[in-house]
Amino acid sequence: MKTMQTIAIIGASGNMGSAIPRGLAKGNYRLLLCANDLDKVQTVAEEIKSSHPGAEVAVSDCSRDASWEADIIIAAVPYSAEREVAEKIKAVANQKIVISIANPLNDTYDGLVTAPDTSAAEELQKLLPNAKVVKAFNTTFAADFATPVIDGKQADAFVAGDDQEALQTVVELVETVGFNPIVAGSLAVSGTLERMQLLLIQLNMKNGYNWLADWKILHH
Amino acid sequence: MYTLYFQHFNSKVRLTEEEQELIKSYLTLKKLRKKQYLLQEGDVCKVIAFVEKGALRAYSVDENSNEHIIQFGLEGWTISDLYSFLTGEPATYNIDALEDSELVLISKSAHEELLQTMPKYETFTRLNITGAYLAMQRRLTSIISASVEERYQDFINLYPHIVQRVPQHMIASYMGLTPETLSRIRKRISSK
Repeated sequence: MKTMQTIAIIGASGNMGSAIPRGLAKGNYRLLLCANDLDKVQTVAEEIKSSHPGAEVAVSDCSRDASWEADIIIAAVPYSAEREVAEKIKAVANQKIVISIANPLNDTYDGLVTAPDTSAAEELQKLLPNAKVVKAFNTTFAADFATPVIDGKQADAFVAGDDQEALQTVVELVETVGFNPIVAGSLAVSGTLERMQLLLIQLNMKNGYNWLADWKILHH
Repeated sequence: MYTLYFQHFNSKVRLTEEEQELIKSYLTLKKLRKKQYLLQEGDVCKVIAFVEKGALRAYSVDENSNEHIIQFGLEGWTISDLYSFLTGEPATYNIDALEDSELVLISKSAHEELLQTMPKYETFTRLNITGAYLAMQRRLTSIISASVEERYQDFINLYPHIVQRVPQHMIASYMGLTPETLSRIRKRISSK
């Protein structure tokens, strides 16, 4: 697509929230970095501009205005903040792609706080019934965005959602970052993807992967 | 956010509160900064835009890189590359914002679903297309049969607000004139 799409990243001062726009900066996107702490997010914007001088980057402390301007919204916030964000952006998120990256881990990282028959993504869809919620970037650690090829292998990144056109758009985002996109299925698959990451987080802590680990499906 | 859109809708077809809420769920709100594109030539046009606030233009670019403005879109107007929207073929127009703008967009899938499920939306669409057809016919008649002075006079009578907001070279482009020719015509008219 030639027409530049605007992506609002809500929570862009965080670990994942800053890694995602860094990874997207080489694409044909206008990045709207959004966080309560404008100074912090301004630093992220300047870093992106210095490493990608052609990148279109702007900052905002208003998630509603940023989402209003955006074609695609990335909710790069923890599960516990999803409800608050959804309330702020609800009026301007209709029909837009909203990417849920959250893994609803409990405080001790040994389980999820969501019920077994749902997921962070499906809960976000309930809060934003007229948006096109897509699960993505939840099975990749923040450090993976700088190193999408680990040990010579390109990391897989899973995408799940109910709207085919929205899935295609998000697949293109995943490719821009440098991961190998795999469409896992409908939004109902999100629970599985979130549990996969629970496992990877537990393994990371147990085996000391230094938060640089990812999934790769080996197949014929 | 939707004020003008529903004013416009209700002036053509009266909606209940519930119907308005239903239609809202299909619409996309979008802000565009000055000079940003809604559509670039070569992409498929996936939306029809209603202008709540601001100003846009649709234009084509010829082999010599000259821009030809097809349409302006100010508050209360609709703008799109309808050919591309309806056929799914790549757009031949570019659409960009002349001012910071607030738009109400409807996507092709939402548009089609509403056409099928809501007779009032179908009526609204028919009236819009009829209006656009008449405007197009008037523009065509004027181009092939009126003098440039008459055309400019008609234009400022019909759209006095555009003349105040849009630079003269763009009005010249819309009328198919060079800026120099338009400037001569304006002088001639004002000296009468």
